[in-house]
Amino acid sequence: MIRLTAISRQVSRGWAVRGLASSAGHLPNSKSPIVAKLNFFNSVTGSDELIPTYRVLDGVGNPIEGAEIPEINEQYARKLYEHMQLLPTLDNILYSVQRQGKISFYMTAHGEEATIIGSAAALENDDEVLGQYREMGVLLWRGFGLNNVMAQCFGNEEDTSGKGRQMPVHFGSTKHHFHTISSPLATQIPQAAGVAYSLRRTPDRRDRSIAACYFGEGAASEGDFHAGLLLASTIPAPALYIARNNGFAISTPSTEQFYGDGIASRGPGYGIDTVRVDGNDVLAVLGAVREARRRCLEQGRAVLVEAMTYRVGHHSTSDDSFAYRARSEVEDRKRVDNPIARFRLFMESQGWWNAEAEEELKTRLKADVMTAFKRAESLKRAELGELFTDVYGGEQPWNIKEQREELAGLLRKYGEAWEPWKNELKKFKNSGKDLLNQ
Amino acid sequence: MHTTKFTVRAAKRFPSAICRWNSTAVEPPPAGGHLPSIATSQVLRTTRDAALRTPGLSWADEDSSGPSRNIVGGRETRKMNTYQAVRDAMSIALMKDDNAVVFGEDVAFGGVFRCTMGLAEEFGKERVFNTPLTEQGIAGFGIGMALMGHTAIAEIQFADYIYPAFDQLVNEAAKIRYRSGGQYNVGGLTIRTPTMSVGHGGLYHSQSPEGFFMGASGLKVVIPRSPIQAKGLLLGSIRDPNPVIFMEPKILYRSAVEQVPIDDYELPLGKAETLIPGNDLTLLTWGTPVYHCETALHMLSSPSPSMEPLVPTSLRSAKVELIDLRSILPWDVETIVESVNRTGRLVIVHEAGMTAGVGAEISAEVQKRCFLKLNAPVKRVTGWDTPVALQYEKFHIPDAIRVLDALVETLTY
Repeated sequence: MIRLTAISRQVSRGWAVRGLASSAGHLPNSKSPIVAKLNFFNSVTGSDELIPTYRVLDGVGNPIEGAEIPEINEQYARKLYEHMQLLPTLDNILYSVQRQGKISFYMTAHGEEATIIGSAAALENDDEVLGQYREMGVLLWRGFGLNNVMAQCFGNEEDTSGKGRQMPVHFGSTKHHFHTISSPLATQIPQAAGVAYSLRRTPDRRDRSIAACYFGEGAASEGDFHAGLLLASTIPAPALYIARNNGFAISTPSTEQFYGDGIASRGPGYGIDTVRVDGNDVLAVLGAVREARRRCLEQGRAVLVEAMTYRVGHHSTSDDSFAYRARSEVEDRKRVDNPIARFRLFMESQGWWNAEAEEELKTRLKADVMTAFKRAESLKRAELGELFTDVYGGEQPWNIKEQREELAGLLRKYGEAWEPWKNELKKFKNSGKDLLNQ
Repeated sequence: MHTTKFTVRAAKRFPSAICRWNSTAVEPPPAGGHLPSIATSQVLRTTRDAALRTPGLSWADEDSSGPSRNIVGGRETRKMNTYQAVRDAMSIALMKDDNAVVFGEDVAFGGVFRCTMGLAEEFGKERVFNTPLTEQGIAGFGIGMALMGHTAIAEIQFADYIYPAFDQLVNEAAKIRYRSGGQYNVGGLTIRTPTMSVGHGGLYHSQSPEGFFMGASGLKVVIPRSPIQAKGLLLGSIRDPNPVIFMEPKILYRSAVEQVPIDDYELPLGKAETLIPGNDLTLLTWGTPVYHCETALHMLSSPSPSMEPLVPTSLRSAKVELIDLRSILPWDVETIVESVNRTGRLVIVHEAGMTAGVGAEISAEVQKRCFLKLNAPVKRVTGWDTPVALQYEKFHIPDAIRVLDALVETLTY
């Protein structure tokens, strides 16, 4: 009954707005008005128009007519810009480092800097974040630091994200309220509903914290997307869903990913407040996510933000996107719709930025990243015994213990004689002695 | 599901990338001799004649009412790696069966492992198409087509991502024939999925989930070891009257190369193949570890100087029987039991973890049927019961040295 009321509230509001409410009454147990006219609908805007996109700055950094610029001062704007620039600096270097075979994998965020940094800035730093894999910028905004980024990507002994167990870009940090990335897509979406529900049940966080959940438009095709939004609206939970619609799921363009009006059109289906925002406009993202967060807290219910952006980079270092899209398409997008350039032009128009500052920033960021890279490169992996830890909490089961023993025995027997193991052992802190000498 | 997927294209650009961590493939051999690797494996059939004499091969273009023949003349072969052989099988299926379609994530541009390259151009987008990113959807869609008598060849981009489809596969595909009293079936469904480790895949690009499907009677599970096997077994799977999960070891997509018959042929499901005959021990495996086993046999018979003290001289002439299981469900109990009754010893190698892995099922059945003939306990060489951790992979996935150790231990038991 509660559910029916909730639905009818939504439905009747929609119909009333359009002036279609009828005098023929409504269905029992529902406020859905009875009408005599057979009328199919296929729009959440009530017209042929697509869902509009919220924007603040135009392509050259000027506020569009009627736009409200979110409250920011020079210092804050500089912080936003620096972080937007840090992403490509890191991406360029780590991409080459992967190409040199020094790390196994990497994913860049080229083209999505405004979506990631703008949304990170709109959140509180202790909002729980459940990311997909392209949201390293959120961690950087929260002060995760370059050494931690490098340690994870190199999987070295300082990798606190996962002790070298996961592929690069699978960050995680309880300190930064950033849940560890999992490769399977969309699994974080229903989890965010549970995280948010728990926040609601935590007295000192119920009025101030939300769960922010990132995913791509491709991941939104998974069953978990629908399950997650359904749960976070039906069992009300302050989960803020941020869809990065970057146009591609590996090779599959969004035109082959869904037939409807993007991801945003699905929000009203779950009865939740929804907005589409220009994801390449950092001020629009900042403003939209701030307001989305406010609603999320106020209503204690899910809110959906669809950020429209463009994946300028390849899907990952394993992908060559020019096999399925024209190089010129990418070059055009970089030129006409560059989120970093757009914000720089705005900063310059405010007198907050100039060529000199740009030069200084780029040199400094590059030097910082190179220093962190060189440090990470020189470090060893964690101890080999970490292979067997953390499978369970509490006492380790017999099979894990015995298998650890078995490997130790094999290493004692063959660790010197079998070249592949001999060479590999040197890469670990203490060269496997934690197992050998146990 | 993609996610942090890497594809083989990375390996194409950097040929060493995928093999770099694979101990039997690329590590410099110790002084004393070169070990066999996938590239030089004797298991691979690299001549036309050997390819055409592949055991169990049946031409699917011959009149089935006529006597079975094994004529080598008049047949051609072409050098193919595994992804090309998989593509060749699908091309034949699409050409001969108008009701056949191929679909999955990113298949239209050729698939992340290139198995569907050019098929969309050749057969049109109605028959070879991208799906949205939903494994449960892909499996359910394929089941629906198969229910209507069509041939659905679906791709799940990585076996690690098959779990959202688990319900559709285990509760639906496996059980439809039974629950409908035989009225309905989804024999037309084949799910292809890349499986096993490559050395740097971490938790979610290294899994071997075949064991999870072993209790789902109604499904068949097949894992080929090479291009000839992939083509013949895939065509056999597509035409089998049951739904088949066809798992393709991803490291073999490029590294395993054979002369592959260009005509339409099938290899039998449910049949293991003895690759090397022997009477002292049965070494059973499937997929990628076939090659680690071959390396281990070489190390057993002619160990390098550094390994020599660790391999008892008395074992150098041991005759180990190497068997590729090929079909995981149903598995060829007859061939395995016949072999173990002869050898008295069994070592099973698989990449998945030990607990409730496929080796557990086989061990139980073998000890029941061969109890009085066994001279040593059945030994399993498997991944550990932990997730597959990136930086530790070389010590997680069973390699030649672990197989060798198991051979020595079991032969000297």
